[in-house]
Amino acid sequence: MAGITTHVLNTMTGRPGADMRIDFSVFEGDRWRLVKSVRTNADGRTDEMVLKPEDTKVGQYELLFYVDEYFAKQGVTNADSFIEKVPVRFSVFDTKQHYHVPMLATPWSCATYRGS
Amino acid sequence: MKLDYTSRRTFLATGAALGASAVLSQRAAAQAAQPATSTPAVPGRLTFHGIDTWNGATIGTLRVDIAMLDGAQYRSIKSFDTATNGRSDGALFEGPTFKPGRYELTMHVADYYAALSTKLPSPPFLTLVPLRFNIADANQRYHIAVLFGPWSYAYYRGS
Repeated sequence: MAGITTHVLNTMTGRPGADMRIDFSVFEGDRWRLVKSVRTNADGRTDEMVLKPEDTKVGQYELLFYVDEYFAKQGVTNADSFIEKVPVRFSVFDTKQHYHVPMLATPWSCATYRGS
Repeated sequence: MKLDYTSRRTFLATGAALGASAVLSQRAAAQAAQPATSTPAVPGRLTFHGIDTWNGATIGTLRVDIAMLDGAQYRSIKSFDTATNGRSDGALFEGPTFKPGRYELTMHVADYYAALSTKLPSPPFLTLVPLRFNIADANQRYHIAVLFGPWSYAYYRGS
């Protein structure tokens, strides 16, 4: 499988990051163009692929994770919020490959990597 | 759920473990056991430490651009090169120069690995890595700790 997928995990609770908004953009010319906004399902994944294999081109992509909004909905209130909206920017260098780009987040830390 | 300073330490330990660094995890766990100090004895400041977990040490020099959110745009403030072991050369901002607000630190990860002749695809998976965070109280000490490689990164509020 090729294309782009993601997965949000709330590593504060060890649970999937459900109902988190993610804005997906592509770098075109000299700017980022918003392609779509999606929300994670109960498993922290998106119902459909973020980008299908046939639509994937070599280039730069961005996933903007609404981490602050997610934790606010979870009832996590902290006056000195540190992690808010987190952009992850990465390149697709081979459209035959699959790019799984997860987000592991707490209000004070986040991590991403090329997964599978 | 209301989270206090002590809780944050616990999650810091979680974040460090994510970075697959047993040493960091143990250190963070040890810190978690210590009582938090509520009154800062030193002025607020921002420091940075980028750790190359691909090579096991930050053997090169990492370029980092600092910007702050100004209205709807991130406005460039300055750039710096990391000094020994990926650390900033002292504080990036300290005392009156340290302002609260939304920061974006952009790490030049592709240039860093290119300078070390690391074989990576073109374009590399990670090129310019933005680290965004909020400084709510510039009277506190904020340490931005980043564990990075060509295929992953993690950052957290360190100490």
